[in-house]
Amino acid sequence: MIELDSVTKRFERLTAVERVSLQIQSGEVLGLLGENGAGKTTLMRMMATILTPTEGEIVINGFSVRHQQVEVRRQIGILFGGEIGLYNRLTARENIAYFGQLYGIAPDRLARRIEELSEMLEMQDYLDRRVGGFSRGMKQKVAIARVLVHDPQIVLLDEPTTGLDVGAASIFRALIRQMKAAGKTILFSSHHMGEIEKLCDRVAIMHCGRLCYEGTLPRLRAMYGFTDLDELFLQVLEKEGER
Amino acid sequence: MNASLIWLIFRKELTDLFRDRKTVIGAFVIPIAVIPAIFFLVSVSMSGVEEDARANVSLVILGDVEQPLGQRLLQTEGVKRLQPDDPLASLHEGEVRAIVTIPDDLERHLRQNGSEQIRVRYDAANDKSVYAYDLIQRVIADYEQEVVAERLQAAGLEPSVIHPLELVEESVASEAKMTGKLLSGIVPLMLILSLATGGIAAATDLVAGEKERGTMEALISAPVPAGSILTAKLLTVMVMSGISSVAALVSSSLIIQVGPFSANDGGFALGFLGIGSILLLVLILLLLAAMFAGLELAISTWAKTFKEAQTYMTPVLFAAMVPSYMMLPLVPADIPLLYYVLPIFNGSALCKEIFFGEVQPLHVVCTLLSSLVYVAAVIWLAAALFRREKLLIH
Repeated sequence: MIELDSVTKRFERLTAVERVSLQIQSGEVLGLLGENGAGKTTLMRMMATILTPTEGEIVINGFSVRHQQVEVRRQIGILFGGEIGLYNRLTARENIAYFGQLYGIAPDRLARRIEELSEMLEMQDYLDRRVGGFSRGMKQKVAIARVLVHDPQIVLLDEPTTGLDVGAASIFRALIRQMKAAGKTILFSSHHMGEIEKLCDRVAIMHCGRLCYEGTLPRLRAMYGFTDLDELFLQVLEKEGER
Repeated sequence: MNASLIWLIFRKELTDLFRDRKTVIGAFVIPIAVIPAIFFLVSVSMSGVEEDARANVSLVILGDVEQPLGQRLLQTEGVKRLQPDDPLASLHEGEVRAIVTIPDDLERHLRQNGSEQIRVRYDAANDKSVYAYDLIQRVIADYEQEVVAERLQAAGLEPSVIHPLELVEESVASEAKMTGKLLSGIVPLMLILSLATGGIAAATDLVAGEKERGTMEALISAPVPAGSILTAKLLTVMVMSGISSVAALVSSSLIIQVGPFSANDGGFALGFLGIGSILLLVLILLLLAAMFAGLELAISTWAKTFKEAQTYMTPVLFAAMVPSYMMLPLVPADIPLLYYVLPIFNGSALCKEIFFGEVQPLHVVCTLLSSLVYVAAVIWLAAALFRREKLLIH
């Protein structure tokens, strides 16, 4: 479970996130929406203890991000948007294994987990090749495997389907559903509205660092009277801009 | 800090770095192969110039060449007489090495106990011309000595009348000390420069590079304390610096044994060092490696991008070069006590003492204590920067 209580993050004069309060339950998938620079990545980085909130508190499965960083990190698997975060001179297997070892997974269990993930993400053919020569989609799959290697309870995914082809995106969606069924808490940021609709139980929309909507999609549709998700998203932002 | 996590990260960093061609070339190939190759090529080129200068001394001899001085010059090995239309132009063009003007009545004046001026024109900017001038000077000096001897004989005097003192040279320095003196110049210089440069590629890649590639963010989101990550990275940079300095030591020995500064005996150049000296040398090199590694990691953390880190690393090279070159001409007796507490100067000075075999306990204490303070300061700085969240995300 993720609990955010009036979380604010300032970088000198810039307020990247302002008084955001939110709860995500176990077994729930929450879609985080917002334009570039809305504060989505900053919010995820605070949940992953990479950034410390200026004000407010974040509690991950009962552990505070301020005071119990190592425990929080054990609960979380985070996939970053932008740069994928893989070592190009290591093989896919070495990359996944390295992070597995950092999480303290025993060698036998780690080997089994790598096989399981590579099968799940269909990457057996290139598991022992160096990542440097991979396509963006192949790298993205390895990065997802890295994030899931320690079987985290909380999964934070920033633009996870960027670079994935149709088949790979479908595999990924199946994986998300599987994790949801296993009771994981999933926070998912995407610009792909169709994907959000297919996977998420609730959505949260951010604008200029503030949370401007949090709830289910049917409720949002009822509030604004639009069925098209892109149109709906723009309406929310327009209304927020008028405030 | 967790030792097994430090070991895990350290092993991964080394595996990653050794798979990078740039790093391997920078750490091994350049110090072991390129530096001796440069010295070898320079020495071959210099001896080629010297050989040519000896073999082809083309002179223009003006005046009466039939006189004894003219004949002596012509009979000197390598001398060839040229008679160009414009001797001065030929000298400028390098075709002629020097122009000697012998007065027509030189021999007559000398017989009458007189003196004469021999004019030699040469190009001081041309090494071959300078060699020709030196040769002419030697021939004239020999001839002058004979004339003086004849004059003394005619006056019924012995040559010792004008040379009452004779210098008898006898050096008390042992062969080991002479080797140490030779090594004390070039080895500390190469060791310190390689310690500074050997870790730059690794430090740049391990923090600024990781930030840019997004792997730093992934690493700090894992349950690993920042102190363990930094310690592993510090050890990795130190190892790369150490490898580079060992490579430099081997190449220095090669240069000294087979290069232009070749020592006389064929044994390993460092064989004269005792176990205590070697341990002290290793200790001071470790402290210098830790200082450079801490500084380079701090710079790499401060830099926003890989390129920015590369630019900021340049002063590290100067910080290593300036003290090393300033120490180059000094012998231990000339080194002021202050140098034993200044960063980099202290390590370089103590290296000199070790190679000279004149290690002073006070200097050892000053060097080790001051080095420890500098190492602690740079590691503290690197750790402080490493814990600043905005510096670790790209």
